[in-house]
Amino acid sequence: MIEQLEQNKYRPRIDIRLVSGILGGLIFFLGAAMILPAIIALAYGESSWPAFMITAAGAMMLGGLFFWAFRPREELRMREAFLIVALAWLIGSMVGAFPFVISGTLESYTDAVFEAMSGLTTTGATILGGFTSDGIQNPAIEDLDKSLLFWRSLLHWLGGMGIIVLTLALLPLLGIGGMELFQAEYSGSKSDKLTPRIQETAFLLWSVYMGMTAVQFLLLWIHPAMDWFEAINHAFSTLATGGFSTQNASVAAFDSVYIDVIITVFMFLAGINFAMHFRLFTGDLKSFINNREIRFYTIITLLFVIGVSGGLWLIENQSFGDSLRYGSFQVVSIVTTTGFATADYKLWMPFTSFLLFILFFTGACAGSTSGGIKMIRLMIIFKNIGREFKQIIHPQAVLPVRVGQRVIETSILKAILSFFMVYLLIFAIGALIMSLLGYDFMSAMGASIASLGNIGPGWGNFGPADNYAEIPYIGKWVLLILMMIGRLELFTVLIIFTPWFWKN
Amino acid sequence: MKILIAGAGEVGYELGKVLSEEKHDVTILDHRQSCLQRVIQNLDVLTVEGNATSPHSLVEGGVKSADLMIAVTSVDEVNIIASMMAKRLGVSKVIARVRNDELSQPDSPLSASELGIDVLIHPEEAAAAEIHLLVKRASASDIVSLADDRLQLVGLRIEKQSKITDRPLRELATEFNDLQARVVAIHRHGGTIIPRGSSVLTANDHAFFITKTEHLKRLVSATGHDNKDLRRVMIAGGNEVGRLLAKKMCEDKQKWQIKLIEPDKEVATKIANNYRNVLVLRGNPTDPNLLVTEGIREMDAFVSVTDDEESNIISCLMAKHLEVKKTVALVSKTQYVPLSQTIGIDAIVNVKASASDEIHRQIRQGMMLTVKALQGIKAEIIEVVASDNCKLLDVPIRDLSLPEGVVLGGVLHNGIAEIAVGDSVISKGDRVIILALPRAIQKVDQLF
Repeated sequence: MIEQLEQNKYRPRIDIRLVSGILGGLIFFLGAAMILPAIIALAYGESSWPAFMITAAGAMMLGGLFFWAFRPREELRMREAFLIVALAWLIGSMVGAFPFVISGTLESYTDAVFEAMSGLTTTGATILGGFTSDGIQNPAIEDLDKSLLFWRSLLHWLGGMGIIVLTLALLPLLGIGGMELFQAEYSGSKSDKLTPRIQETAFLLWSVYMGMTAVQFLLLWIHPAMDWFEAINHAFSTLATGGFSTQNASVAAFDSVYIDVIITVFMFLAGINFAMHFRLFTGDLKSFINNREIRFYTIITLLFVIGVSGGLWLIENQSFGDSLRYGSFQVVSIVTTTGFATADYKLWMPFTSFLLFILFFTGACAGSTSGGIKMIRLMIIFKNIGREFKQIIHPQAVLPVRVGQRVIETSILKAILSFFMVYLLIFAIGALIMSLLGYDFMSAMGASIASLGNIGPGWGNFGPADNYAEIPYIGKWVLLILMMIGRLELFTVLIIFTPWFWKN
Repeated sequence: MKILIAGAGEVGYELGKVLSEEKHDVTILDHRQSCLQRVIQNLDVLTVEGNATSPHSLVEGGVKSADLMIAVTSVDEVNIIASMMAKRLGVSKVIARVRNDELSQPDSPLSASELGIDVLIHPEEAAAAEIHLLVKRASASDIVSLADDRLQLVGLRIEKQSKITDRPLRELATEFNDLQARVVAIHRHGGTIIPRGSSVLTANDHAFFITKTEHLKRLVSATGHDNKDLRRVMIAGGNEVGRLLAKKMCEDKQKWQIKLIEPDKEVATKIANNYRNVLVLRGNPTDPNLLVTEGIREMDAFVSVTDDEESNIISCLMAKHLEVKKTVALVSKTQYVPLSQTIGIDAIVNVKASASDEIHRQIRQGMMLTVKALQGIKAEIIEVVASDNCKLLDVPIRDLSLPEGVVLGGVLHNGIAEIAVGDSVISKGDRVIILALPRAIQKVDQLF
């Protein structure tokens, strides 16, 4: 104990060597993942394989070197964990962008980073298929090499459950201080810890994630409209609630009710806490059904499906079947922040598209792969509002906020309320910057919330049929930072920019 | 009888007092010098300073020769360990206060007997249960469940509009022959009367009846009370008794609307977190503004169970003034008991009394199933099994010559409960319910 304290005395507040050591390990891991698309490129005889091999070799060498040199020997502290997680996502996107540039597919590195960050954060916003602000035409999605398409989906899949959770699951390298890293990245609560050891929990979460991906892949593959490549890409994209497709027209390109239904169902499942999925698979049906967040999420989704489908049916006079099919797909796609599209909601009448706009802010359950504010927070905020009304009538009453049987402590309540405020504030700042760049009201707001909420398609110029290519470089950087802030649930990233983080 | 009491807190002190007055040899063990000082100054008992979990102290307290050990320190675990050791050291009977009720659950991995405890007592729980019964039966001042819940003893104030006033009891028995009830004691002008057939009930008498459980409602209306069910209850004080009462009411089939006032933030928060259906208010229970804003006027019952008994009486008075139908106060000082009935509080509950009732029952041993001291009048209600050498067997009650101050209330014969009338006969193995004045209690022992 005393020894440890003496050691700590000489340790800087943020040990850069420790941080770079762990970051090195993570980058090494990301480099290793690039071997998969390289294999695909070789198999299909595409010219992009050297791009993957060069990046993979570079990332693995550099990352390995850092990890070997500064292997973590000491316990991580909270500040270092925050810094590592935020930097891991930023550097990971920057490394993940290289194959796009080296293969010559994208001319601009900013565009490549945007695409990689959009992939890793499971946003699904793309710059492919449009003209950039300096007049370069980016290739359309269908014209991309299969290896690059696969890399986009793989980025989704890795980012969905979280690169750090994955690394924790597979490699013991983050052994010390793993819990801090886990918490900084994972959106669920501490009670989702399934086993005493964090590594085992991470492994179980990834197993469930991988198993569900495999099931969806098989279900998609058996449909004649999809070959194995499209099936695996869409399975990756669905489970990660990402939104990248192999088709410019997204899922609409397949025009199959079966595929729509499968993807709707799996998007919905991906919006549920994976720790709860694990419980369900181990036979604990009761805790799954009694989970208040899942109930709330299901009810909200059903209400919006009824609202949107009803709007399409009764006001837009579409057939009942079509209304239900397109309405439910769009609703689930947005509420889980996936961003797949089978219809252009921008063209719908105001009521139905406004319903969808509300869903841009919700997100699905905590601990799922979705982004947004998350159902549990909204639920607690609503309950708190109810409590405030009751408090006016009974000024001296002690009124706890409950979720099921659990009482939400005041400190958690405060954290949730400030999360909500900061979320809206950042959304407003993002929209303000976009409007400064000359975009109209809906485009600016849409781009901001679609990035912050990790949804992908927005409104106005950035609807589901459009892309983000035309935005000036500065705007793209703003949006990709928003994606990262949204994916890491605000505070992990924002805390780094506070003076308290760097001061004693 | 040699009795060792571990713990000289409130309950320990009170027990020591009662038991030493009954001429038992009492030793009190505690590690707090200040508590022992109070015992030494006031009680005729032996004191030993030491920890209840120390075998040495237990032996010093005479555990090896004691007939009974009562563990009533404030800590459950200390009581359990002391009981286990006492049992090993040769005490024949061990009574321990254990507040955690998980031990008495059927699925508990360790039963009380495995811990060497013969009887678990929980005075706060008993008090809460008593209040719960009282609030359910709006107009009763006392209510004791007897003969496996088939008979009830109720204390009722006789109202002016009652149909049974000013007539001899003998006459009433024939008129209300479908209402099986028997008056066993009358409290009038501070004195207790054991009624005869010729006795007369007058308005404002406080009468104690033994009745069949199913006739209770009719009895209540015959004494001039309206038989309205209460629904809205305000509990002042969130201590153990208040908490347990709220818990019982939450678990009740009947839907109660419960408001609980507790000044302490942490206690209030804890209750609010645990009991969803209780509206917990943080504030002073004697603050009239709070009581009025929270609608005390609309309340059906007001229960004051704070640790400060004076403020319990005051806030009950305030509630009574604001026309609350039923007020119950938790009062420990026996001197206050008659006072509070004079000023119109409907019922008094005494935590220490419920503890000593329980322990009394154990000491009296053998046949006695229920012993309960009635508040306000000096009398005990006793349920006892008639043994072989019972002196009252097989003779109609009419012909028995019972000692002065003893009333037979009811008989449970082969599972059928009957109110004792002149023709009733006691057979061997019957359970007999008796009301006895203190001076006659010893004689009851001899009779059965």
